[in-house]
Amino acid sequence: MTGPLLDVRQLGVEYGARRSMIDGIRRRELKGVRAVDGVSISVSGGDLVALVGESGCGKTTTAMSIAGLVPYASGSIIVEGHDLSTLSSAERRARRRRVQLVFQDPYESLDPRFQVARIVREPLDVHRVEGDRDALVREALHKVGLRPAEQFLHRYPHQLSGGQRQRVAIASALVLQPALLVADEPVSMLDTSVRAGVLELLGTLRTEGMGILMITHDLSTAARYADRICVMYLGRIVEEGPAHEVVTSPKHPYTRALVAAVPRSDGAPRDHSLMPAGETPDPSRMPSGCRFHPRCPVLASGEAARLGIADRCRGVDIELEPEVGDHRVACHAVTVSITTHP
Amino acid sequence: MTRYLLKRLAFAALTIFAALTVNFILFRALPGDAVSGLKCRQCTPEFKEAQRAALGLDQSLWQQYVLYLKGLLHGDLGNSWRPPHPTVWSQLWDPIKRTLPMILLGTVFSVVIGVSLGLLAAWRRGSMLDRTATGMSLAAYSMPTQWLALLMVLYLAGWLGLPTSGVKDPDLEIAQLLGDVGWWELFIDQLRHMILPALAIGIVFAGDYAIITRSALVETLSEDYVLTARAKGLSRWTVIRRHALPNAALPIVTLMALSLGTVVGGVLVVEYVFSYSGIGLTVVQAISERDYPVLQGAFLLLTVAVVFANLFADLLYPKLDPRVVLR
Ligand SMILES: Nc1ncnc2c1ncn2[C@@H]1O[C@H](COP(=O)(O)OP(=O)(O)OP(=O)(O)O)[C@@H](O)[C@H]1O
Ligand SMILES: [Mg+2]
Repeated sequence: MTGPLLDVRQLGVEYGARRSMIDGIRRRELKGVRAVDGVSISVSGGDLVALVGESGCGKTTTAMSIAGLVPYASGSIIVEGHDLSTLSSAERRARRRRVQLVFQDPYESLDPRFQVARIVREPLDVHRVEGDRDALVREALHKVGLRPAEQFLHRYPHQLSGGQRQRVAIASALVLQPALLVADEPVSMLDTSVRAGVLELLGTLRTEGMGILMITHDLSTAARYADRICVMYLGRIVEEGPAHEVVTSPKHPYTRALVAAVPRSDGAPRDHSLMPAGETPDPSRMPSGCRFHPRCPVLASGEAARLGIADRCRGVDIELEPEVGDHRVACHAVTVSITTHP
Repeated sequence: MTRYLLKRLAFAALTIFAALTVNFILFRALPGDAVSGLKCRQCTPEFKEAQRAALGLDQSLWQQYVLYLKGLLHGDLGNSWRPPHPTVWSQLWDPIKRTLPMILLGTVFSVVIGVSLGLLAAWRRGSMLDRTATGMSLAAYSMPTQWLALLMVLYLAGWLGLPTSGVKDPDLEIAQLLGDVGWWELFIDQLRHMILPALAIGIVFAGDYAIITRSALVETLSEDYVLTARAKGLSRWTVIRRHALPNAALPIVTLMALSLGTVVGGVLVVEYVFSYSGIGLTVVQAISERDYPVLQGAFLLLTVAVVFANLFADLLYPKLDPRVVLR
């Protein structure tokens, strides 16, 4: 197959603000919250892509609309060459099988009334998968490291540790043999001691050719395990590139601030100075121009004015533009410095 | 498990003992007694004193209480004070046989109506359908039972062609004496008399079930495992049936057990309106005659029923939710 497994283009997702009865009577139009606003991501087989960003920037919303749980308002989601919006609902169901989701909280994502065997088997039953389903269940459990599988088949989720639960959740995603796994903060609810194990598991799956989109808060996790990193801010990707490059030479002022705030292994103090407090971003009050400008240190320090782009920062929205090769940034200052100092 | 059961049974016995003591005191706290209300030519003060002595009312409260407990220990609920003084048990048994199926039918009505309303509301949360269903549940919940029962007598009964009073068709009773009535006919007749009172109780309690079901479902529907199931490709309805509803069953079962006590309050009123001679009507009559033994007997049975319904619900929980361990 040519082209990426997953190609998300200009994705836009809106949550309709809830209309109360009063609003209905007064015919007041409420504006929806645009939680995702023009996100583009692509993931190929054998790729582990990390989506990084602070709380509320729209990471989960992106994941859910890729999995078909939240309808999207604009843009397109292309899975293995098929644009989801052009498919019939039956075809979409079949496509959905190829993209599986793992949720953040393994204490919540497993039905407490079902035994492991039934949890992992349910997707097979739903999609009427041919063959020995029980054998497939055991195989999936084995694959995620729950060995011997027989020992786990008849346990309830509350009889498992958090790490084991997350492995069960991953097994129930893997059992359908998806091409792409979307993992929404798969380790953030887990004890530090079992995090590495689950992340290694994702790494192994990637080397076996699966595409993985991993959402995380944690830039150091992303740097360690991902091939590529997408940095998200207020509903849009603001920087995207090979993991190593994004971490060692971040271009966007937001990424630079994130990198500076990461705890350092050499014991150097964390630097929060690059991230001015500003107001916490809120998608219902989207700033004009570049969405980062109210908090941007480049603008605040007067450097933008020196470059003569302050007005552009405040007034003109900007999308990802290639910086070098496949490292792309959405920042007026970066664009200007490239064009003026080639 | 056995230990748990023993503990619970001991606790049940204690609860029942406390309840019957309170009942004993409460009825006697009412002003007047079975004799003071009597009005007749030969009802002289001397005659009344003699009556009191015959019923044991001249003894101190404490003595009466000890006597009552002694009787109970021998399984003796006492005798009614109303001539010809039949045993309490024989007074209660026939009404219970009429009321029990009526309550059961009423509970079926309320669970079916309530759970469906709650399900609709939760399924289409925030929509017009939700507001209508929730509004209807609240209306049912806050409706005075006797008012609803009267409305049903006035408007619904004629339209449905159902009887509005009694437990049996008088014509059928005569025919039965002549001996040419099949059991099927009798059964249908009883059912017809039962439907309206049961429906009145069913509607009033459907509100409770609808509200509980909606809130329990809204909660389980927002759980991640429901989202996970959706992501796996289950349809919305399958997700509700397989994941959300079973996980919402716990509060619904709890309500079933708990509402037994309140349902009896409704039964009192409903049986009065429909002249349905069940346990409710018996109690109303016993109150007006200050027939303490019958009242004590009726409330003792109610207490036992409520205590055991709750015990049963508790024993059912581990079946509904594997996380529950009985200790
Ligand atoms: N069901 C919803 N209805 C309305 N708004 C929502 C809904 N879910 C999320 N939002 C809003 O959309 C925005 C993005 O939310 P999202 O959950 O995607 O963030 P996130 O990046 O996953 O955050 P976190 O790191 O905390 O998980 C937030 O502003 C949030 O308030
Ligand atoms: Mg999230």
